[in-house]
Amino acid sequence: MTGVTSHRQRTVRRPELVGLGVLATVGVGLIAIAAEWITGVGATVIAIFLLAALVSVVWTAFVGGLDARRALAPYGLLKPGMLWLCLFFIAPLWSMLEMSLSSKKSRFDFLPSFTWEWGNFQKALTDFAPQFGRSFGYAAAATLLTLAIGYPIAYVIAFRGGRFRSLLLGLVAVPFFTSYLIRTIAWQSLLSDRGPIVGTIDKLGLNAPLEWLHIMNNGRLMNTPAAVIGGLTYNFLPFMILPIYVSLEKVDVKLVDAAMDLYSTVSQAFRRVVFPMSLPGVFAGSLLVFIPAAGDFVNAQFLGSPETTMIGNSIQNQFLVQLNYPLASAMSLVLMAVITASVLVYARFMGTEDIA
Amino acid sequence: MSTRQKTSESQSPRYSRREFLIRSGVVGVGAVSLPAILSACGGGGGSSQATNTLYFENWPGYMDSETVALFKKETGIDFTYTEKFNDNNEYFAKVQPLLAKGKTIKPDLVAPTYWMAARWIQLGWAQKIEMEAIPNAKNLRKDLKSPSWDKNNEYQLPYQTGIAGIAYNASITGRELKSVEDLFDPAFKGQIGMLTEMRDTVGLIAMANGIKLSEISSFDQVASAFDKLEAAKKDGQIRSFTGNDYMDDLSAGNFAACVAWSGDVLQLQAENPDIKFVIPEEGGTSWYDTMLLVEGSQHGEQAAKWMDYIYDPVNAARITATVQYISPVDGVRDELVKLGGETAKLAESPLLFPSDEEIARLQSWGALSETEEAKFDERFATIIGA
Repeated sequence: MTGVTSHRQRTVRRPELVGLGVLATVGVGLIAIAAEWITGVGATVIAIFLLAALVSVVWTAFVGGLDARRALAPYGLLKPGMLWLCLFFIAPLWSMLEMSLSSKKSRFDFLPSFTWEWGNFQKALTDFAPQFGRSFGYAAAATLLTLAIGYPIAYVIAFRGGRFRSLLLGLVAVPFFTSYLIRTIAWQSLLSDRGPIVGTIDKLGLNAPLEWLHIMNNGRLMNTPAAVIGGLTYNFLPFMILPIYVSLEKVDVKLVDAAMDLYSTVSQAFRRVVFPMSLPGVFAGSLLVFIPAAGDFVNAQFLGSPETTMIGNSIQNQFLVQLNYPLASAMSLVLMAVITASVLVYARFMGTEDIA
Repeated sequence: MSTRQKTSESQSPRYSRREFLIRSGVVGVGAVSLPAILSACGGGGGSSQATNTLYFENWPGYMDSETVALFKKETGIDFTYTEKFNDNNEYFAKVQPLLAKGKTIKPDLVAPTYWMAARWIQLGWAQKIEMEAIPNAKNLRKDLKSPSWDKNNEYQLPYQTGIAGIAYNASITGRELKSVEDLFDPAFKGQIGMLTEMRDTVGLIAMANGIKLSEISSFDQVASAFDKLEAAKKDGQIRSFTGNDYMDDLSAGNFAACVAWSGDVLQLQAENPDIKFVIPEEGGTSWYDTMLLVEGSQHGEQAAKWMDYIYDPVNAARITATVQYISPVDGVRDELVKLGGETAKLAESPLLFPSDEEIARLQSWGALSETEEAKFDERFATIIGA
C-alpha cells in the first residue's frame, strides 16, 4: 500500500496537457522550419527549443510515475505519425499554398513574393479549364472501364480460380515488372497506323462504326482521346482488380447457396448478396484508379495529340518550361481540391462513412 | 481493460512497452531534428579548393569513353564525366535554387544548348574562359564564331552541333519534299509531326515566312509563324508535338513528314532507307550544345585543358566516330579518313559534313530578352496544348 501512495505523491498535474502541448508545439515548430518561415539562427533556436520540449515530456513521464505515463501514452503514440505528417505533408502543402498566392517580379525571379495573388487561381481555372475538364473526364471514363473489365476478372479469380488463384493474381501484377513508361510507349507501336490493331480493324471492316463512335479519327487510333483513355485504363487496371478481389475473396460461398435456397435466381443472389459485399473493394479500387489517372500526364503525352492534353501536362509545362511556380502551384491546388471534393461526394454516395 | 490487466502491467519490469514507445519516440524525433540543427548551424560552407579535378555534366550518349580515359592519362587530371544533363529546361529548374542564391553547383562544365547558354550568361551563372590557354580553339568552325550573345567568344565553346530540318518517309509521301510548305500540304493531313523544341519548329516556319532568325528580338516579329502553326494544329494537319520519340512515329509510318534533327535521321536511315532528311530550301536551323564554365567553379584551368584537348581534330574525330553528330571542329573529316575502315565512310556522309552551300542555308536564333522569351514560350505552350 505504501508504494502506491508514494506514486500518488509524485503525480504531476494534468500530464495529458503536457503531452498535447508538446505535440502541438513540436508539430508547429517542424512546420515552421520545413516551410522556411524561420531560417538560419532562428531555426536553430527553434530546433533546440523543440528538443527541450521533448525532454520535458520524458522528464514528466519519469517524475510523474505510472499515472503520468499512462496519461501521456496516447500522445506518445500519436507523435510519430503526427510529426511525420507535419514535416512531410502539412509543411509542403503550406509552402504550395503560399507559393500559389505569390507573384514573380520577373520570369527568372526564383523567390516569388507573397502578395495575395488570387489571380493565379483565376488564371488556373479560366486558361486551363479544357485541360481540367479532360483530366476529370478521361479519369472518370478510365475508372468506369477498369471497373467493367476488372470486376469480372476479380470475380472469376476469387470464385472460379481454384488452385490457380495465386498464379492468376500474380499474372495481374506481372505488367508492373516493366516500367510504366515502356508499357505506355509499347502501345504506340500496337496502335500505330500500320500496326496490328488498326490492320485487324481494317480487315474486319469495323472502320465506319468506330469512326461513328469517335473512337477512330480519320482511320487512326493513335493520338486520339480513345488512345489516351485506353492507355489510362490499361495502366491502372490492376489497381481496380486487386482491391475488388480482396473483398470478394472474403465473401462466403455458402451465402450464395443460402440465397438460392431462399429461391433467389443467380443474378438476384449476385445483385443482393455478393455485389453489396464487394462494394468496399469497388470503392477502394475506384479511388486508386481515379486519383492517379486525373493527375497523369504520361498517357496524354505519348498516346495523345495537342487536343488531348491533361492538366498534368500543363502543370509540368508551367513548372519546368514557363518557370511559373505560382501558377503551377495554384493549378496543383485546384486539382487537389477537386479530387478531394469528388472523393467526399463519392464516399457519401457509396455510404462509406469512415472517409466522409 | 480489465483489472487483471492493470495489475499485470504494474508488475511488469522497469521497461514497459509504453515506456519503450515513449522513449523511442523521443529518440526518433531527436534523430529527425538533429540534421536540421546541424545544417542550420553549418551555414554555407564547403567552398571547394583548387584541386586538380574537373567535373563535366553532359547529355546522355554523347561521348566516346576512350577519349575520357586518354585525357585523364595524358593530363593527370581527376576527371569526372556524368550524363545527367537530360533536358535544358529541367536542368535549369534543378540548378536555379543554388545558382540564383549565388552558390555554385558541383559540375565545373555543363552542356546547355546555345539558347540556354545565352540565358546562363545573361543571368551571370557562367564565367569567362581563358581562351589563350586553348590554342586549338582556332579550329572552331567559322559559322559558329561570335554568336550575338557571346560576341567575343569569351564564355563558351560549342561541344557538338546539329541541324533541324525536315525528315520524311518517302514510301508514304511518294515524292521528294523540299520546302517547309510541304509540311502544310493537305495531302498529309494528320500525318505531320513537329518538335516540342520551340526554336526548331517555329524557326523553320519563320524562315519560310522570310524572317531572319538572328534578327528576331520581339514576339511580334514572329507572330505570323505562330499563327500559321496554330491554324495547322486546329485543322488537324499536325498529329502531335514530340521530343526525341518522333523517330518511332516516323519509322512506323505514323508521320509522313516531320521536323527532325539530322543526327537522329542518320541512325534511322541505317534501318529504313526510305527515311530522308532535307534542309528546306528556305533554310534549316543550326543548333549546338556548348561547354560552359559554371560561375564559382575553381577549375577554369582544367576546363581549358579539356577544351583544348577535344578541339584537337584527332580527338574530335574520335568523338564524331562514336556520337555521329556534326563536329564544330575543322579538320575532323581528314582525321576520319585517316582512321580508315567503316569510320572513313562517315567522312562521306552529307548529314555529318553538309556542303558549304547547305551550311549557308542554316540559321540560328539570337538571344531573347527575359520578357520576350516568356511570350514565345507561353504562346507555344498554348499551341501544343500544355
